[in-house]
Amino acid sequence: MTSGADAAPDTVLLVDGDVLLRIVIGSYLRDCGYRVIEAVNAEEALRVLTQAELRIDAMLCDVELPGGMDGFALARRAREQRPSLDVIMTGTAARAADEAAELCEQGPQLKKPYEPQAVVDLIRRLRAERDRNAGR
Amino acid sequence: MHTPVGQHVPVPETWSAILLVEDAVLIRLATAEALREAGFLVLEAANADEALTVLRGSTVIDVVVTDIRMPGAIDGLDLAQTVRATWPKLKIVIVSGDPLHERPPAPVDASFGKPVDAARLISCLKQIVARCTP
Repeated sequence: MTSGADAAPDTVLLVDGDVLLRIVIGSYLRDCGYRVIEAVNAEEALRVLTQAELRIDAMLCDVELPGGMDGFALARRAREQRPSLDVIMTGTAARAADEAAELCEQGPQLKKPYEPQAVVDLIRRLRAERDRNAGR
Repeated sequence: MHTPVGQHVPVPETWSAILLVEDAVLIRLATAEALREAGFLVLEAANADEALTVLRGSTVIDVVVTDIRMPGAIDGLDLAQTVRATWPKLKIVIVSGDPLHERPPAPVDASFGKPVDAARLISCLKQIVARCTP
């Protein structure tokens, strides 16, 4: 991936069925300079990947996805479309936060905006709040 | 400083936080990026169920921009009605490809037909937010 003040931001395709996780991880990656494209499932991800004009540098993908295709199957299809795509699999919020932090260490601004544990804590807090408010 | 995703997550100063609800991923991407370019903080939801999850998660949203026809248990009009009843201070903009919905059910704050002109949507959102700003 490239960096530099005048370079276009590197782009991460974030694929996760949990909207709260997508929002927090997506915000985190944008804060460290990435362009983030969000997809809720494999179908959406593949629709994005088939757009040749969209540059995608990495795909951060949950193992379990809603719909008929899981993350591993998506990864195989994604590499068929884009053999040089960096595919990063996650299975938990903590893993997703750690991988996002690693991307930020490597990425456009070469720094983490804040510690990944804050990301995990925020996801947990939002999920708990959602569960308390379920039915509103 | 506005912190729509929680007090511990620093975000850049923006006009307002928009919850964009759209099931077509490429339309959602293009619209979200146009709104971010205009200075809005944009949270994305792929359907009404996800939108309610976001709203129940205590993220601070100022405006909900929602498509009408979406997969899931409820559509955009049901979402608008739930938002109005549960979070009365939120502003609501609906987007529809169906000409029957050009006259929106009250009360929403604005409505647009598809395809949405991004510049008009941005102008509308800035006006909505300006009316709310003390």
